[in-house]
Amino acid sequence: MNAEQPQPLHNYQQLVTSLYQQTDYDFVGVALQAPVSPHLTRWLWVAGNQNERFRQIVLRRGIGIAGLVLRTGTPFWHNDILALDLSDRLYSPIARAEDLHSCVAVPINNGPFGTVNGVLLAGFRDEERQVNEQDATKLSQSLI
Amino acid sequence: MLETANWIQSFFDLSSDATFIFQADQLVVANQAGQELVNAFDLDLSYLQELAQTAISQQQSKADGCYDCEIINQLPELTIPVDLPPEHTHPLRYTMVYRILSPTHQVYALELKSQAPLDRANQVAQQRMLNQYVNRAYEDERKRISQDLHDSIAQGVYSAIMGVRRLNGEQMDNEERQRVSAMIESQLDDTLREVKEMALDIRPSVLDSFGLLAAIRALAKRLTENSGVIINVIGRADTSDLSTDVQNVLYRITQEAINNALKHANPSEITVILVAHAHYISLEVIDNGTGFDYQANRGFNGHSLGLMNMSERVKSLNGSFMIDSAPDQGTTVTVKFPVIKHTNEQSNGE
Repeated sequence: MNAEQPQPLHNYQQLVTSLYQQTDYDFVGVALQAPVSPHLTRWLWVAGNQNERFRQIVLRRGIGIAGLVLRTGTPFWHNDILALDLSDRLYSPIARAEDLHSCVAVPINNGPFGTVNGVLLAGFRDEERQVNEQDATKLSQSLI
Repeated sequence: MLETANWIQSFFDLSSDATFIFQADQLVVANQAGQELVNAFDLDLSYLQELAQTAISQQQSKADGCYDCEIINQLPELTIPVDLPPEHTHPLRYTMVYRILSPTHQVYALELKSQAPLDRANQVAQQRMLNQYVNRAYEDERKRISQDLHDSIAQGVYSAIMGVRRLNGEQMDNEERQRVSAMIESQLDDTLREVKEMALDIRPSVLDSFGLLAAIRALAKRLTENSGVIINVIGRADTSDLSTDVQNVLYRITQEAINNALKHANPSEITVILVAHAHYISLEVIDNGTGFDYQANRGFNGHSLGLMNMSERVKSLNGSFMIDSAPDQGTTVTVKFPVIKHTNEQSNGE
């Protein structure tokens, strides 16, 4: 772990691995904002990834499902995320890179004063699988 | 009645279509346009009659395998394409219509309509649609910039202001103060990044200061970060000699081609190749996405206006624009511009 990466209060790798093993999500990932300038938010810990493209992604606040969670601090989910266009605000590069049809993302509130400094995201590749509010709640609880 | 006949006569004379009326294959009357046509091309009317006769006998023959007879029989009159003058390298295209006026008296008319005005009208219509497209794209871009300014930048600055107020207003110990200032810094960093991205979107300053290749590399890096698709840039070109217009167009084509690929083709990798040759510079944007049937999409269906716009931009600077694509085979966009190489002797003026 280098200086640019945030020191996790959780062991996030363990969290994503156990989530991946205990649920039937096809992909689980955690993106955290770096504590030092330029404060980029990247996907740092994942499980179930198909490739290494997630490493290239830099999250933008307010853009994509994870970006919206970062900005608003509330969970978001979407069941046909791949149908969205690049110009759509919800277009999510992580869904594109990992072929996720449905995603649910919840905030990680470990920033100063409990502000949002990261996102926990999980998703299905299978078109049949849907996500809903309950999945978001369960995902949030796994962070406690 | 007589007056009406006069009007009809002058309409016949002034009509833009050349009209000839024959009785028993002898010319009875030709209007002004017809006479001019005969004079201009030194036209032998029996040639036109022969064409008409051939078309009639073709239509009447009951030969097998005439798959388009159904269509021909549906036409209200016999329509024959004619190029004038015949056997010329650059003929004008006409449509000849054969119309029987009186079968008993063997009177028929041949009407030649020039297709040039129609073609020109089509071109104008196409130009208008292209203009409309460009204007709409322009308006959309402004809308997006305004939205970004409002959503990302204004909000980021606002949060930072709230943080600064908190720093001043509350009694807090050193550690707490540090945390607040770290939070403000991170918010401002986000905002700064958004501002830089927007500036890059509107007009890359890298293009002016560090040249085309650096600008394309910056673009590729940013789009990779935003899309999760790996974009490679291979460049072997000194672009400092290129005119600003050509550089701008090459940059915009790269941007649009990559955006198109990301939007429609779902690729996993995109490669941009910029290479300078002896007398031209070539740009290729290759993706491994779904591809599309270019021939089926090149018509006037509203979706291809982006492609047409790219093509027009390149053509206006004497370049060539090509798209090679097939379903499931990815897409390659190729742009070439002629370049005059300034050798050392020339630039020294010797």
